[in-house]
Formats: sequence, structure tokens, C-alpha cells
Amino acid sequence: MENAAIFGWALLWILFWGALGGVVTPRIYARKDLEISQASFGGAVIGAALGPFSLVPLWLATPKITSRLIGISIALVVGIFIAAFALADPDNLCVANGGFVVSQLANGIVIGIIYGLMALGLTLIFSILGVVSFAHGEFYMIGGMVTYFMTAQWIPGVSPIVAILASCVVTFAIGYVFELIFLRPMGSGEIERPTEYAILVTFGLAFFLQYFTQALTSAVPVKAQRFFPFPRVEIPAESGALLTTTPGNVTIFDAISVPNPRFTAAVLALMMLAALLWFLYRTWVGKALRAVSQDRQAAAVTGINPNSMNTLAFSMGAMLAGLSGASLVQVFSWLPQVGIPAAARSFVIIVLGGMGSLPGAFLGGLIVGLVEAAGTGCIPDATRAAAYIPAYGMVILTLVLLLKPTGLFGREL
Amino acid sequence: MLELTANSIYKNFGGLEVLKDVSFTVEGPELIGLIGPNGAGKTTLTNILDGALKPSSGTVYMNGERIDTRPPYGVARAGLGRTFQVTRAFRRMTVLENLLIPAMAMRATARQRDFEEKAHEVLEFLTIAHLRNEYARALSGGQQKLLELGRLLMLDPQMIILDEPFAGVHPRLMEVIYRYITEINAQGKAFIIISHDMDTIFTLSRRLLVLNYGDLIADGDPEVVREDPEVKAAYLGEDE
Amino acid sequence: MNPAALYRVSGSIAVVILVLLPLASSEMGGVGPLVLNSYFMHLAITAFFYAILASSWSLLAGYAGQFSFGHMAFMAIGGYTSGLIGKFIRFTTAPSELCTDIPLPGNWWLVILNIRRVGTIDESCLDMAKAETLPAGTLIVFPPVWASIAMGLAMGAVFGLLVGWLVLRLRSTYLALFTIGFSEILRASISAEIPITEGQSGLELVPLFPAGILGFSSTSKIPPYYAMLFLFLFAMALMTWLAGSRFGLFVRAIREDEEAAAALGVNIVRYKVLVFVVTSTLAAAAGALQGHYIGIITPNTLIILQMSLVIAMAVIGGLENIYTASVGAIIITFVLELLRTNIEIGPLLIDMTLWRLVFFGLLLMLTLRFQRNGLLFPILERISRGGVAEETVSIRVEEEELDEEEAVADIEAEEEERAASPGNAK
Repeated sequence: MENAAIFGWALLWILFWGALGGVVTPRIYARKDLEISQASFGGAVIGAALGPFSLVPLWLATPKITSRLIGISIALVVGIFIAAFALADPDNLCVANGGFVVSQLANGIVIGIIYGLMALGLTLIFSILGVVSFAHGEFYMIGGMVTYFMTAQWIPGVSPIVAILASCVVTFAIGYVFELIFLRPMGSGEIERPTEYAILVTFGLAFFLQYFTQALTSAVPVKAQRFFPFPRVEIPAESGALLTTTPGNVTIFDAISVPNPRFTAAVLALMMLAALLWFLYRTWVGKALRAVSQDRQAAAVTGINPNSMNTLAFSMGAMLAGLSGASLVQVFSWLPQVGIPAAARSFVIIVLGGMGSLPGAFLGGLIVGLVEAAGTGCIPDATRAAAYIPAYGMVILTLVLLLKPTGLFGREL
Repeated sequence: MLELTANSIYKNFGGLEVLKDVSFTVEGPELIGLIGPNGAGKTTLTNILDGALKPSSGTVYMNGERIDTRPPYGVARAGLGRTFQVTRAFRRMTVLENLLIPAMAMRATARQRDFEEKAHEVLEFLTIAHLRNEYARALSGGQQKLLELGRLLMLDPQMIILDEPFAGVHPRLMEVIYRYITEINAQGKAFIIISHDMDTIFTLSRRLLVLNYGDLIADGDPEVVREDPEVKAAYLGEDE
Repeated sequence: MNPAALYRVSGSIAVVILVLLPLASSEMGGVGPLVLNSYFMHLAITAFFYAILASSWSLLAGYAGQFSFGHMAFMAIGGYTSGLIGKFIRFTTAPSELCTDIPLPGNWWLVILNIRRVGTIDESCLDMAKAETLPAGTLIVFPPVWASIAMGLAMGAVFGLLVGWLVLRLRSTYLALFTIGFSEILRASISAEIPITEGQSGLELVPLFPAGILGFSSTSKIPPYYAMLFLFLFAMALMTWLAGSRFGLFVRAIREDEEAAAALGVNIVRYKVLVFVVTSTLAAAAGALQGHYIGIITPNTLIILQMSLVIAMAVIGGLENIYTASVGAIIITFVLELLRTNIEIGPLLIDMTLWRLVFFGLLLMLTLRFQRNGLLFPILERISRGGVAEETVSIRVEEEELDEEEAVADIEAEEEERAASPGNAK
């Protein structure tokens, strides 16, 4: 990076005024007897946006902090961040090459869809059981492992669809048994301090599943073949200006290039998503699930058994993680430890989207996918960029938890 | 001399207005009943006085100091104690430890044994002295309620807010609580009592505040309030 | 014998045994038939290390109810701070001119070395200075190990303060997520900043006693054994004192019910931050000491699995008591090492090196489900209660009677309430 100093100072500037705005604004609003529920978060983003030029008018005029004001400020912060980056490193591919940017964006969205699917499972569990499953990454890992072993080792030549279905069955079954033995007693009041128990016991499950898989498969990384190679197509013929496909890649407009495994994984994920939405909104069981997530007691009165809904939600959540793993085992190499960063990413997504919110999880998945793509593509030092990938999401997580713990679509805490 | 003033307390949760412009003053060791139908905003008002919630607008002063900007422990130290609608004993601590917490919190240099005697007196007064070394979770619901009242005596505030002290309490314990309120009140502490138990609240309190959907619709002598047409319409009318 | 005295006696016996244990080591010739090899001594040091981590985590999670997953991050902060000071800081008797020199009183200079880029043959500025600017006979002194460990401790405290303050508003699950985030950011940064931290290949630390001490060689296990034992005993003493003082009373109240504690005048902000500061300082101390003992620290010490090992130790031992947590950690460290063998069951050969952690995970889950207070705690309870007190029984009976009467009163109250406010459901 050429003028790293510009970027560094811009970042410091944003952080400094953001922190100042977040700390001082609520005090000023409190002194004037104004509403302070949004003052901290609003002050922080407004301060981060224009520094003293926005904070001084804010403190003098003390207008009502609306979500519109906050939205504009966030857009400004992102704009300034990008501008500072562009100024600091004008030769960077992310600044100089439009095609590269669009390609990165497309890849980010594609991978974001799958992240969203996985986080959807976690948020489904949370909305019904009120529990964050710390073993979510392990279901993802097992989904991938089962798919790989089915297609590559046990029954070579079997259709990937069968393997994916098998991974669904396995993860669903593990989730089912675990819920029945370890989480079911929470509902009956048999377990004291259930939140704390749920954190620890799902953590224990993660520990167990990870070492169990490692003992069975050893720690050598594996990777599945492409599920569905593309046929070779060029549209229009010969030039391929609109669309070109090779078995391993698809290129649109000569600019946006998405590798085949990612593309098929995203299509699979979208299909699962459609199926999930159909299940939740069109079937009786799905409606019952949503009813339980909204009001447990009311649902119980109408004859829904909340306990069986818990079991169903947990095993379905596990299955969704397994599905994402099954569709991504052709993209990344697979290890028993592969679930940890994936789980961490899901935590980021559901916190960002708002705990328990289904659309929030999906949108959060897209945002995290985009941020990761930008991070990987734009940071000049490749090894360093790779090492920092897990950190981007975590920075988002910590910022959201500190500034707006309800996330984008969260209910009030 | 105790003086607590709530000025135009307004509180909304999103679009829901829970308290609209509630003002009142407490002077000296009054014994006040706070009543109102479910959802009238009684508990929200308690939480605002206690500092657990911040009012959307409005102020609360106690003995000339503004307390609505303080955290709950600051309010407690300023001399306002409260109980909760649902009993909140420290379940995995012994009864004695429960009592020591407020006493220790109020004095930075004190040691536990300085308060053990006082704690014992409080427990005697509340008829649960024989349980002092039991875990609070082993106590019955009513006994936990007494424990909460005992903690307030150890805190030694100037004003006490009791949220539903009589709900679901065995008649024998009710007598103890009744005696607690009158005796402590006679010792010069002000009380605000939230209750659904009409008979008790009318005989016990010497002033009534009536909340109805966020409005303070009446404030005065119980006998006068009972006859207030607005109160009758909003609340008591349905009762009789 | 009353329980308090029993604790004191058994505790003292344990301390005496631990202090005298090195006499039986092979270095000292052993005691009679008992000869402990240096591998055993190494295990003992590791066991103390985990015992400090598990017991301080139990103070944080079990006493104060703050389920942080960032404990290993504080441990790593201690180790890395100490290691980085050893890597980048020197004291000299003349300014180097080429590095960053900070004059100290008494004609000494504190020299901060430059960061060497990876893959190039950039020389250390001090090496160049030795050849060019430094007058002959200039002394170059490494910072003393105890001082860099102390800095590691201070850094742990600073980060503990920062994290404790940041997480004030976060409860249970959110706190767990935040601390995982903190830990992962730290791990990623350490892995990425290779020129400073050496990344995955690990940062080397100077030995705890570089020149040996009191006639022991620098590879002897006995001095580090006593160093770690001292830290362990100091940590236990500190935490015992804290748990028995107002601090212990207040953090337990915060664990039980934060709002109720605040309503009773407990300064919840101060005590929540304080418990983070104390426990992270202890973790940082353990990390710095262990780092110097092992001689290297890598970002892998921060992975979640390492954290879950500490959690499992504390939970299986008994989370709500610093003693059971630490004894659990010591026992489990040894048991896990003993299980590095193969077991043959008929034709089945089980490689326990692989499977021991699987069973361990299962044990963790089952402990949580069926023996929530840990496997050691019931033993402790049994000793201290000495059978069920008669008083307790009488209370139970009385309580049951009361409960029945209350149930009637409850129904009456409910009926009244319904009558009082028809149609006013929330």
C-alpha cells in the first residue's frame, strides 16, 4: 500500500470521533431531558461520519435521532472509508479494475447466500429454543464430511444429490438425539440456569463431535469433486461476450467470473431456502414452529407441543448447517476443524441480522460474504489478508454487540 | 426530611406510550398505595424511580438531587429501596449472605461480622431466623418474599417501594408483611405499595395514586379517590 | 472435626506434599522407591498452569457468572507481551544511533529494535550498530525475565479492564459471542503480523532461568516447578481471600441477579470490571510463565479447542468452586497423559491418543447434564455437611405444609385478580 498513512489516519479519525460521539451525545441529550435510547448509537455513527462538522451541530441542535439520520450517517462512513482506501492505494485492483470489483462482488454474494443458509439454521434454533448452539460449526463440518465420504470413498460414483441427502439425515439425526437427551430437560425445569447450561453443553457437543470426527477420519484435508461440471457454452457463439462456461467456471459479460463449485453451491442453497420458506409458511408444522417462536405459551394453549417443536427446530437447524457444509465441501478443503471459523461466521451473521430474525440472518449472510470478498480482494499483502479473514467478521460482531446489540432486525432485548 | 419529586415522567417503548406526563411529590414518611389496572404502567414507573429504566423525558429528584440519571445502585445509595414483582432472592446464597449484601454495599470499609447481629434481629422480626444458613432457593415463595423485605431493612433506605407484596402470600405471612409495613413506616420511612389487593391497600395506605394507561388520574386520600368518578370508570367500576 | 478446620488441614497437607515433591524427582535421586522422572515434573508444571487457568476461569464464570470464552486470549496476551519485550527491547550503555533510543537515568539507554521484514535479509539495527556506531565495550543487556513477565501481567490487567468495561451491557450468550470474537481477532492478528509475532511458527521466549539458579542447570525442571507452584499457590491464596471478602459476596450476587444486586446498592459496574481484571491478570501471569518455561508460544494456544479444554477441566472438577476447578485441572492433565496408550478389546485396537479427547468431550456433556456441580464437588459437600443436618429436614417438612397453604392462597389471589380486572390482559 503506497500511502498507508492516509488510510490509517482516516481510520483513526473515524474511530476517534465515533467514540467521542457515542460517549458524549447521550450525556448532552440527558442534560436537555431528551430521549437517550438512540443517542449512544446515533452519536457514534454521526460522529464517525463527519467528525466535529456533524457532532457540533448535533450537540447544539439536538434533533430527534431518527433511523433515517442513522442510515445516512452509516452510508457516509462507508463512503469515507472507501474513499480513504482509494486515495491511499490508487493502484489497487479494487480501485483500478472495475471488472475485478464486480467479480469480487458476485463471488461475495454467491458465498454469502450459503453463509446465510447456515446462519438461518442457527437463528431458527435461537428463535424457538432461545439457545445459541455452539456446535453449529460441527454440524456444518459433518455435513461436508458425510458428503465427501459418500461420493469419494464409500460409494464412488453415487450422485452428489444422494450424498447431500445422506448428510441431511445424519446431521438431523445427531441434532435430534442431542436435543432429546440434553436440551429437552431444560423445558421441564429440571435444569437450573438453563442459558448457562445451554452454552456449556452445546460447547461440549462441539468438542465431542470434532474429536470424534478426527478420530474417525484423521486430520488430512479432503476435498470433494465438483458436483455438477458445466457444459462448455459460449453465448454468442465464438466470442462468448455474454456468457462463457467451462467445466470449472462461468463468466458473464467477460468480466464477472464465478467458479463452478461456488455457483452450484449457491444454487443448491437457494433451492434449500425456497424449500425452507415453503415449509415454514405453507405447512401446518412450519406454522406451528413460527407460532412457538412468537409466543410459546399461547402456542401451547392451542395444542402445539412446544417440546416436540424444540426438537424439530434443533434438528432442522443442525440439518441446515449440514446442508451448507455438504454444498461447500466441493469449494473448500475439509478438516475436522473446518467448523470453527464457519460457526464463528454464523455467530457474526445472526448477531448482525438480529438474533432470531430469519430475514436478518439471510441479509447478514450477504453482508458478511461481501465484506470477506472485499477484504480478501483488496488487502494488498495476500498472506496477511488470508490470515486476517476470520477477523473481519469478528470486528463486525464486536462492533454490533457494542453499538446495537439488537442487530438489524432484532427484537428489543 | 425525605422529599421525592417526579416531574412529568414520560416513557415510551417504540410506539407504545407507557407513561404520559406523570408528576407527584412524596414528602416525609408517607404511606402511599399505587394502583391501576394491568398494563397501567405501575411497574414501569417503579423501574424509572429506581433507575433501572431511564425516562424518555422528565426528571426525578430525591432530597434535591437528581436521581433519574443515576444507575440503580446510585439510587439505592441515595436512599431508595425496592422489591420486585417476581421474587428475586439470590438463590444460590444463604439467607444470611442475602442480608449482608446491601449492608456491605452501603459501607465501603465494613466487615461481614459487623452486620451479623443486625441481620439476626431483622430475621427475628420477619420470623425466619431459623433459616439463616439455608440457601435462599430452599425457602418457600413467601419466605423468599420476607427475605427480600429483610434485605431492604439492611439497606436502610429512606423510602421503600414494594411491588405486589401481598400477591400469592399465605395469610400468616401476610400478617407479618402488614406489621412490617406499619412498623417500619412508623419509624419514619416512606412507602409506595403497588397492589391488586384492594381491601388491604385501602385500609393500609393514607394516600392513593391511581394510574390508568399511563395517566395519573387520581392522587389523594383513599376515601376521596374511591369516590372519584374517573377512577370508578377506569378501574373500580369494573370491580364492583 | 468441623469442615473449616478439615479444609485447612487437608489444604496444608496438599501444599506440603507439593512443596516436597521435587525431592522425589530423579534429579534429586528420588525418595526410596519413588523416583519421578523429568517428564513427570514437566507434567506437574503443566498441570499447575492449567489449574491456574481453570480456577481463575471458575472465579469468572462460576462465581461471577460471566461466561467468557476469551480466557486463553488473556493467557496469550501475557505470554506474547513478555516474549515481545524479550525480542525487541535491550538495555545498552551507549546510544545505538540506528535503533530507537530512549535515554534512562544512570547513563543507560533503552533500545527498541526495528521490525525486520520477512523474506529479506534486513539486519537487526543493533547488529549493525555493534559494527558501526556503538563504542567498544558497550554492554548490551536483555531485559530481565521477571520484568518482562511483570509487563505481561500488566498488559493482561489492561486488556482485562478494557474487555470488562466493553462487555458490561452484554449478558450470557452475547458475552460468550463477544469474547469468542475478541479471542479470534487476537489470534488472527498474531497469525498475520509475522514480522512482529513470527505468526504460526511461534515466538521464542528466553528460558525462565537462562543461566540456571542455585546450582541447578538451565534445563532442570526443579526451578520452573517451584516458580509455577508459587504462582499457583499465590493465585489460590488471592482468590480464596477475594472469594471470602465483599468481592466474593458481590460477584455472586451479580451472578444470581444483577438487577436485584444493583437495587441493593451493589456497584455492579465496578465489580464486574474488577472480576475481569483479576482473572485476566492471573491468566496472563500463567501464560507468561508457561511461555518462558516452554520457550515458545504460538497462536494455536488461542484456538477455541484450547479454551474448551480449560472449560472442561473446570466443569468436570466443579465450576462453582476454585478448589474443585483447580484439582479437576490437575487430575485431568495427568489422566489425559496416562491415556496416551492403545487399548485392545478382543480384535479391536483403540488408539487412545485419538479417542481420549472424544471420551473427555462425552464426559463433559454428561457431567453437565447429570452432575452439574462437577464430579469433585459432591465429595466436598459431603465432607463439609457430614451427613444431612436434622434442621434441614424439619424445614423441608414445614415448607411443604406452607406450600400447600400457599397454593390455596395463590388460587384465591388469582381469582381476586381476575375479578379485579376483567378483560385487562396484557
